[in-house]
Amino acid sequence: MSNLNSNLAIYNRHPFHLVDPSPWPFMASLSVLVFLFGLVSYLHGFKVGNFLFVFGLCILVLTSVVWWRDVIRESTYEGSHTVLVQLGLRYGIVLFIFSEVMLFISFFWAFFHSSLSPGVELGMIWPPQGISIFDPCQVPFLNTIILLLSGCTVTWAHHAIIHGNRNQGILALVFTILLALLFTGLQFYEYKIAPFCLSDGIYGSTFFITTGLHGLHVIVGTLFLLVCLVRLYNYQITAQHHFGFEAAAWYWHFVDVVWLFLFVSVYWWGGI
Amino acid sequence: MESLSTAPRDERFPHTNQTRNCWVRYVEWKLCEEKHGEEESECKKFGRWARALCPVDWIERWDEQRANGTFPGPSGESS
Repeated sequence: MSNLNSNLAIYNRHPFHLVDPSPWPFMASLSVLVFLFGLVSYLHGFKVGNFLFVFGLCILVLTSVVWWRDVIRESTYEGSHTVLVQLGLRYGIVLFIFSEVMLFISFFWAFFHSSLSPGVELGMIWPPQGISIFDPCQVPFLNTIILLLSGCTVTWAHHAIIHGNRNQGILALVFTILLALLFTGLQFYEYKIAPFCLSDGIYGSTFFITTGLHGLHVIVGTLFLLVCLVRLYNYQITAQHHFGFEAAAWYWHFVDVVWLFLFVSVYWWGGI
Repeated sequence: MESLSTAPRDERFPHTNQTRNCWVRYVEWKLCEEKHGEEESECKKFGRWARALCPVDWIERWDEQRANGTFPGPSGESS
C-alpha cells in the first residue's frame, strides 16, 4: 500500500503543466537585445554592429535549440503535454499566427499606400517611371505553383501521420521540404538578377520588405518542418499526439497564403 | 479694370492638396511647348496655369530634371 502511494505521488492530480524554472527565457531576451542592438548599429554603419549582430543571432539560435529541446523532453519523454495543455498550445499558435498576419498587413499597407496613388515624384504611375520589374508569369508564377504544391504535400504528410503511416509521412515531409528549398533558391536567384534594388526608391523598398519578410518566414517554416521530419523519424510524432507537426502545417499554410497575396498584389497587380 | 484669373477648376483634382493638378499642368505646358513652340498662345496659357498652381522652386527643380533627363514624367521623346 505504501508502495502504491509513492507511485501515485509522482503523478499530477491535475491536467496542467507547471513548468520548472529555466534559464532560457532570460537568455532569449538577452540575445534578442544583443541581436537588435547589433542590427541597428550595423544599419547605422557602426563597425561593432557586425559582430554584435552575428553574435546575438548565434546566441538566439543556440537558446532556441536548447529551449525547444527541453520542450520536446517535457512533452515526449515526461508526458507533460496533456490534452488540455495541447489546447493551450493551439490557442498560442493561433494567436502567434494572427500577430504575424497583422505584421504583414502593416507592410502591405505601406505598399498599397504608395502604389494606389503614386506621388508626382514617381511620375504618378506604378511601377514608378524608370523602374523595370519582374514578369509575374515567369519565376513568380512558378514559385506560386511550388508553394501550392508544398501545401498539398504537407496535407499528404498530415493524413499519413493520422493514419499511422510513418514511412509515407516521412516521404511527404521530405517532398515538402525539398519544394520549400526550391522556392527559397528561386527567390534567391530572382533577388540576384533583380533590375532594381532596395534603395531604388519606394518600389524597391516595398518590394524587398514584403517579399523579404515572406522569404524569412519561408526559411523559418522550412526549419519548423525539418524539425518535424527529424521528430517523425525518431518516433516522437505519433497518430495520437502530433501537435508540433500541426503547428508547423498551420504556419506553412499561413506562409503560403501570404505568398498568394504577395503574388496577386505586388507582382501581378503592381506590374500592370 | 483688368480681369484677373487663375487656373480653372479641374474635376480630376477635387482635393485641397493641388500637387497633382500642378504636376499635370506643368507636364501639359512642357509637352505643348515641345510640340508647338514657346510662342504658341495655348502653351502660354498652360504656363500661366502651371505657374499659378506650382511653387516656383518645384518648377525650377523639374526644369533642371528635364535638362538632365531625370524628370519622372512624360517628355516629347516618350510620348
